[in-house]
Amino acid sequence: MAYSDKVLDHYNNPRNVGSMDKSSDSVGTGMVGAPECGDVMKLQIRVNDASGIIEDAKFKTFGCGSAIASSSLATEWLKGKTVDEALQIKNTDIVNELSLPPVKIHCSVLAEDAIKAAINDYRSKQTVKADVGQMEHAVA
Amino acid sequence: MTRDFFEFFDLPRNLSIDTKDLEKRFYALSRKWHPDLFARKSEAEREESLEATAVLNDGYRTLREPIARALYLLKREGFDVAEQGSKDVPADLLEEVFELNMAVEELQDGDESARAQLISARQRFEAMRAELDAELQQKFAAWDAGHDKAALTEVRAVLNRRKYITNLIAKANVPDRV
Ligand code: FES
Repeated sequence: MAYSDKVLDHYNNPRNVGSMDKSSDSVGTGMVGAPECGDVMKLQIRVNDASGIIEDAKFKTFGCGSAIASSSLATEWLKGKTVDEALQIKNTDIVNELSLPPVKIHCSVLAEDAIKAAINDYRSKQTVKADVGQMEHAVA
Repeated sequence: MTRDFFEFFDLPRNLSIDTKDLEKRFYALSRKWHPDLFARKSEAEREESLEATAVLNDGYRTLREPIARALYLLKREGFDVAEQGSKDVPADLLEEVFELNMAVEELQDGDESARAQLISARQRFEAMRAELDAELQQKFAAWDAGHDKAALTEVRAVLNRRKYITNLIAKANVPDRV
């Protein structure tokens, strides 16, 4: 199977590989996997708590070229978006941008799932923080 | 649609199969359909014996192996085996998969200290696979008891997890020493 030039570019030269402190309240971590191939993807975002804008995104993917390219592209798209905007990213956008063939669609689904998981993680941290804040308030 | 293997072997659609019995049926059917017996028959009959022989061989290979048998039955019963989500993989398993992949990468980069981690990971995964196999036996029995489709959903869930673990064992399969 021939990879498109864009896939090859991201594959040979992945953007934003790395990791962030997952215990930080501003960081959301999404970890997803595809049982068919055993591939795993970790995607993280750091959100500015005041503006709700994603300031940084990092990923590390163990998987096929399409999965690496999908997650690399996803981190590029995430930066500068608000969390709500980020939720609009669909795997089909990734498929189109990278010209993925049908057999590689599940790799882009993995990236969409990872974005959603990272945002969920960030949001649940924020609600916990808010709850704790309220409790402290009530006690004081 | 090719002929159903269970029907061809005249077996109930059960997931637990007595492989000795299957073997006997295989030999009996091989004799029955042997192309030599059809050498002087009509063209149509010769065709039929060839087809039957092909189904016989495919069927035997599929039914004698528990995982292949289960996947085959799932497909025949209308379960889309290819459609598997990440959703039914527990989060801590993913975490472990990720760590394992990191270790494989470190080892590839020449960091020997990762080897011990990989070996112990492989042992843990092999133990997990053994557990899943035991679970699979139970799910097989549950299906056999009443051919209730809900039981097949559970069979598929276990097969998904098993596939994951099998992939991992292959990845963690580094030599014990350099
Ligand atoms: S083949 Fe596994 S994610 Fe692409």
